Amino acid sequence: MQSESYPIIKLFVGVACTVGLYSVLYRESKFYRFFEHMFLGLAAGWAMFALWGETLKSTWWDRMVGSVADEGNPAVPGYWAWAFLLPIGVMAYFVVSKKHNWISRIPIGIILGLWSGQQVQVWFTRYGPQMQSSMKPLFPTTWSEFITPLQPEAGAVYPAQVIGNLVFLLTLLSAMSYFLFSFETKSKLFNGMTTWGRWLLMIGFGAIFGSTVMTRFTLMIDRMYFVFIEFFQQGLIPLIGGR
Amino acid sequence: MANDKTIWEKLQAIDRRVLYTLLMVIATVSLFFKVNVPTKPGQPTKDLYRLLVDADALPEGSTVILQSDWTQSTRGESAGQMEALLRILMRRNIKFALLSVADPQAPLVARNVIRAINLERKAKNQREYQVWEDYVNLGYFPNAEGTSNAIAANFKTAVAGRKETPPGSTTPLDVFQSPVLAKVSKVEDVPVYINVTGSKTSNILIERLGGRVPFAALVTGVMGPETLNYYQSGQVKGVAIGLNGVAEMESLMEKGLEESGKPPVQSFAGETNYGRGMAYYLALHTCLVLMIVAVVVGNVAMVAARKKK
Repeated sequence: MQSESYPIIKLFVGVACTVGLYSVLYRESKFYRFFEHMFLGLAAGWAMFALWGETLKSTWWDRMVGSVADEGNPAVPGYWAWAFLLPIGVMAYFVVSKKHNWISRIPIGIILGLWSGQQVQVWFTRYGPQMQSSMKPLFPTTWSEFITPLQPEAGAVYPAQVIGNLVFLLTLLSAMSYFLFSFETKSKLFNGMTTWGRWLLMIGFGAIFGSTVMTRFTLMIDRMYFVFIEFFQQGLIPLIGGR
Repeated sequence: MANDKTIWEKLQAIDRRVLYTLLMVIATVSLFFKVNVPTKPGQPTKDLYRLLVDADALPEGSTVILQSDWTQSTRGESAGQMEALLRILMRRNIKFALLSVADPQAPLVARNVIRAINLERKAKNQREYQVWEDYVNLGYFPNAEGTSNAIAANFKTAVAGRKETPPGSTTPLDVFQSPVLAKVSKVEDVPVYINVTGSKTSNILIERLGGRVPFAALVTGVMGPETLNYYQSGQVKGVAIGLNGVAEMESLMEKGLEESGKPPVQSFAGETNYGRGMAYYLALHTCLVLMIVAVVVGNVAMVAARKKK
């Protein structure tokens, strides 16, 4: 096979897979199933290869067995304790045994324990700065200008900024009040706040949905670009024209 | 009977396959028009551009960590982001250490983009980015949480054992012997940690590395709204969201950035700046118009059909 044909064959396989997977939009069929299973098989096979080649070999095996000195690399002694990780990892596979699946709970428990232990620190690193940044000034410190100028005075809080901060505070409190389900409230003010909070949440969800739609459209546009521009326009037509 | 249906009822019952076909046709036709749709970059993208291009934030020749956590499943958004990012890094001679935590396919996909951008540079007689000298591939690390913790605790230990083959050699050497990581022993030694992601690994990085290193994220439209919370609180210094973010980045690369009270940031005018982002941007707009029209028609038809009854 001529080597210059390889890129177009590669693109053609990609196009066939795209058409095969998009055929589900018409209806689910054996044609679609074939490509779905092929994709799953390829992904699983590649994952096994990558896990060994890019992760386990360098991170575990080489450290366990060590290496002799060669060009530019000093000798590294092996550290036998890494071998203990193998039985712990193998235990996880007992999940498929009806009789011994309790063994799989040992590595799962270790992972859960490690994960749980980190959560306090993780939670605060994630939300601490957000809580801190929610503490916004509600009183102006200057009336020299109403709207915040392009080059504001250092540390000054302008009236327009305060209005923005009040809107932020109202949104924050209203949205949070919506989630107070534990007790019944008869206060009109509080009920108004929860209703307002619900509206604001809906607006937020709408914005999130819009952004999600943008992603879905982009993924489809990219596939169309691959099929019609990369394959047909840039690959197939020049190849046919060249001959 | 079907024939008794009014036009309004028929409009509400358009077969989904008709809409899918219409969508694909509109997207495909739009792709053949090379139009640079005008865009006004948002502040998150401007801050990202300033972080990447401003010499004070990221000095020329310095090393960044580039965590690439996307595969072909989000190519539409992430490939454009990665291409724009690499163009900037390569033009500014910024070295990068590439790693992935989200998917075993991610390192291969990232290497393909590096190869494509290198080919683009070669065609323009520009210096190609060399593995070892300009970038190293640290490979795939399973378990995003564990890896991020390890990087936070001790970067050198976290990536110990990873090797890369210098050009002209056949023997892989430890990545810390390369010029890329020669001066990096902990994560705080890099001026920026960049995450191009098709999943939520940006959140995991913020949780584990928060406050240690300036963090930049290029995320999908799905993750965008969530990531903006971290941008507002300063946990992320700059964000590009989805295809819109790519188009904004490309526009900034072409025109540069001028903001009141801040020093201007250079453009890369004359280079290949408009790429995948602008190529898809018109199609995105036409698809969104179709969706809006479909929603309006569906609702008008519903109201009209109810009034008829």
